[in-house]
Order: sequence, then C-alpha cells, then structure tokens
Amino acid sequence: MQIRRETQQKEMSQGMMALLFSAPAVLIIAATILVPFLIAVFLSLHNWNLKRPGRERFIGLENYTDWLTDSDFWEPLQTTFTFAIGAVVLIVVVSLLISLLLNEKFPGRGVLRALLLVPWAIPSVVNALLWKWLLNPQYGLVNAIAFEIGIITEYQNVLGSMPSVMIWLVIAYSWIHIPLATLLLLSGLQTIPSDIYESAIVDGAGVRQRFLFITLPMLRPMLSIVIIFEMIFALKVFDIIFVLTAGGPADATNVLGWTIYTETFRKLDFGAGSSIAMLLGGITLALAILFYVFLDKGVER
Amino acid sequence: MKQRARIRLIVIYISAAIVLLGTVGPFLWLVSSSFQYERQLLNRPPQWLPNPIVLDSYREIFEGAVLGEASGVPYQSRIFLRSFANSFFVAGSVAAIAVLTGAYAAYPLARLDFRGRSTLLFGILASRLIPALSLAIPIVLVAKQIGMSDKIISLVFINLSFILPYVIWLLQSYFKSIPMELEDAGRIDGCSRLQVVHKIILPLSLPGLTSAGILAFLLTWGEFLFALLLSESPASYTSTVVVSLFATDVDVSFVSIITAGVISVIPPIAFALIFQRFIISGLLSGSLKG
Repeated sequence: MQIRRETQQKEMSQGMMALLFSAPAVLIIAATILVPFLIAVFLSLHNWNLKRPGRERFIGLENYTDWLTDSDFWEPLQTTFTFAIGAVVLIVVVSLLISLLLNEKFPGRGVLRALLLVPWAIPSVVNALLWKWLLNPQYGLVNAIAFEIGIITEYQNVLGSMPSVMIWLVIAYSWIHIPLATLLLLSGLQTIPSDIYESAIVDGAGVRQRFLFITLPMLRPMLSIVIIFEMIFALKVFDIIFVLTAGGPADATNVLGWTIYTETFRKLDFGAGSSIAMLLGGITLALAILFYVFLDKGVER
Repeated sequence: MKQRARIRLIVIYISAAIVLLGTVGPFLWLVSSSFQYERQLLNRPPQWLPNPIVLDSYREIFEGAVLGEASGVPYQSRIFLRSFANSFFVAGSVAAIAVLTGAYAAYPLARLDFRGRSTLLFGILASRLIPALSLAIPIVLVAKQIGMSDKIISLVFINLSFILPYVIWLLQSYFKSIPMELEDAGRIDGCSRLQVVHKIILPLSLPGLTSAGILAFLLTWGEFLFALLLSESPASYTSTVVVSLFATDVDVSFVSIITAGVISVIPPIAFALIFQRFIISGLLSGSLKG
C-alpha cells in the first residue's frame, strides 16, 4: 500500500496523463470538425453569398424557413429518400444472401470472401467511372449483354431517363457497399451457435422455418447496425452523383447532397448551403436515433 | 444422404459462381477494356479479351507525365501520375500520423481510469455523425481565408480528422484485448506508464496497428469531396479528382478514361488483397468505410 502511494505521487494522475496522451488527436479532431461545425451553424444563420460581398448579415432562421417552404428542398429530399431506401434494401437483401452462402462450409469459401474486398477497395469516384462505362448508351457492356440475350432490341440510354437512371444509380452505388455489409452480417451469423440449428432440425424445422425463427431473430442486432449505417451513408450520397449523373436528367437524381454542392460551390450562397446541410444532418441524426430505438426494441442483450 | 450432399454442393457452387461474377466481373471488364484499341471498344458485340494486348493508353500516361504538353496527350493524362503521387503522399501521411496520435489517444481510453472517459470516447465517435458536406462549407471558406487552399498538407490534415475516430476506436478495443497481467508485470518491474506503452502495449499491438494503418490508407485514398473542394491545380489534385476530371470530360477517348480508372485502383486493391486478414479483422472490430 505504502509503495503504491509513492509511485502514484511520483507519477502524474491518470486524468492528467489521459489529457496529455489524447491531446494531439483531440486537437486535430476539434480543429477540423468542432470548429467548422460551429462556423457552419453561424453561416446558416446569416445571409452570406460570395457573389454579393459586403451584404453579410444575421437573419436568424430565415435560411431555414426559406428552405422548408421551398420545393427546391422537398423535391431533393424525396429523391434522397427514394435513393436511400432503394440502396439500403438492395444492399441488405443481397449481402444477407451472400453472407448466408459464405456461412456454409465449402472449399474456396476463403477465396470468395477475400475477393469481396475488390469492390470494397474501389473508390466511389472510380466506381462511378466504371459504371459510366458499363452503362454507356452506345458501347456499354450492360447494353451489349441485354442485346445479345435478346432482352432489348436496341441499345438504351439508361442514365437518360426515369426510372431507369435511379435504378442503375442504386445498383452502381450498392455494388461497392455490399461487401462490407456482407462481412458484418457474416460475422453476425457466425456468432449463432450451431446446436440451436441442430435441435431445431431434431424438432422437424425446415430450412425456411430455421431462417425465419432462428437466423433472423439472432441476426437482428447486427442487421440493425448494418441498416442504420447504410442509411446514414446513403442519405449523404454525393461522389457517384457528381460523376455519373450530375443530378440529371432534369433533376431526376438531384439528391440533397448534390443540392448542397450546387447551392454552395456553384451559386456561392454559403448561407443557404450551410442551412440545407444542417437540415440534412439533422434528418440523418433523427433517423439514426429513430432506427436505433425501433430496430433495437425487443433485442435481448 | 450422399446425393443430398452432392445437390447441396452444386447449389453452393452455382451461387458462388454468380457472386464471383458479380464481385469481380465489372472490374475485370474495366481492366480488359484498358488493354484494347479505342476502335475495338466500339465493337458490337464487345470483345471480351484484349487481342492484341495494347499498352498505348498506359504509355500515354507515362509520356504525358514526362514530356508535358509536348507529348500531345490530353491534359488529364499529363497530370495523372502527379496526382497518383499526391494520393500516395496524402494517404501515407494520414495513415502514419493517425496510427501514431491515435495509439496515444486510445491507450487512456482502454486502460486508464479517469473522470470523463466515456464522454471523451463518445465525443470522438459522435464527431463522425456530422455529415462531411456540412463541414466542407466552412472548411473551404476558412482554408481560402488563411491561404491553406490548394495545399496538399491541408488534405492530410482534413482527412486525418475523419480517420482518427475510427483508428482510436479500433485501437482502444485492441488494447483492451491485451492481458492486464502483462502490463502489471511491467509496472512491478518499475516501468513508467509511458514505458509500458512503448515496451509492452505497442509491440504487442502490431497486428492492430497494422490494420488501423491500412484502413486509414485505403479510406483516405478514396476520399473525393475534400480533395475536389480544396484543390485547384495539379499541385494538389489527388487521383480521385483527376479520375473525376477524366470521367466528366466528353472529349477524352474511352480508353484513356478507363486506364486512369484502372491505375488509380491498383494500390487499394493490391493492399486489400495482400492484407486481407488485417482488413477484415479491422473492419469487423467496428470500423466502417464512408
């Protein structure tokens, strides 16, 4: 006891040490996240257009009320949700199927799991370029395959019209997001003890019953995490829009992320851009909390 | 029973083949396209494998980088290799600094007992909930004001703060998995806290540090939004920005665009496949891309 007190006196307190150790990282995070966030709040409460310098002034919540009464907010919001819901559904369904496959034991399973990292590692911008080439209206592979099989009689410009542009946007976006969701769901599947399945088989449960009454309930915590994270990511989609559609055709893929970009960096209206970005952030956060409460309800920990 | 097992295997391999095709097929088509002549790319039906293997578009990018305007290749091709080097610099620096500062920040979170520990951890993680788009506006504004726009060092700094929360989270959970007895033994032998970190925790955490570093590198390599907004010239363009310049330009030949795409994913895909174990374990301990 005596010895311990002496060493403590010689050394600084644990709190002091924690402060010193974490200071560099915390300072970096504060300087580039906390401070900009406060400035963003400040800007969103001001009339602040770089095209009209000298007219910056405090206008309270006017930017927000302007957006909330403007179809330029509600239409992109609807587009954002159409996109996000489509992407989350596609990602969750496909990755659930793949993870069920990878949960089976068969030679070559490890290779397949490793190759999932190929799409995962592709940057979103390169992914957009890849799909732009695959979907090219004159020479794209998707057109060529559909044509050769006989699904279409002439090549289509799928990025040129609704609803095909939204469908392909969702597919292209999901392609690089499915691998991570698959790995997470797979790790969830592997925590389910196999003797539960064995006793269910003894009790005469079929494949479907085992999936519905054992797999899905046991997978629910991990499934919730995947749905929440994919929802958060999909709501702030930007990169792929920038390269693949630029919000078009005729605003069909004008999601909020794209509106924020054009409003701020093309129209140079930093006040309006900041306030709509805050709105998107608020909606995302609210949804994440809502999903967390809703999806986690009834999960025994 | 034996027949059932055979049917099971057939179903599994058919599904696996579909997954395999869907996973690597689109990317392999991009690679195959990059080795063809432009006119071959316009064939109907498409030519699946390059014949002959054409390296012109790759040569263009190297010639463009060396000869500059005299090479006669498109602007994007000339600046591409420089942006590739910039990406290496940014992603490498971010990985190194994030692991270094992240490890020191993660240690007290994993091992020390102090007031505000959970608040600190929560605060660090919650910082990732703020959408990058809303932070981009003030960051660009301030960077221009203080003359930090169009500087590669700004990109290092910005990316660092988005990566650090992941790295800290990953490392603190790794540190927790190291048996406390080892640390206690070091303390009894008279090590200070700092010595414990340097001589026991860090050497034992090498796998965790590696996966954190690789993830930091890969996530930074693919970053686009801030690279786009904070760079104005080839001096600070990263490869994702130049890829977007390629992809949104209608005057550049398909094969040049495609080749740029292929070259810019060689490092991340090579890394991902070589270090797959580290990456999968890193991803599963709570780190996510996006």
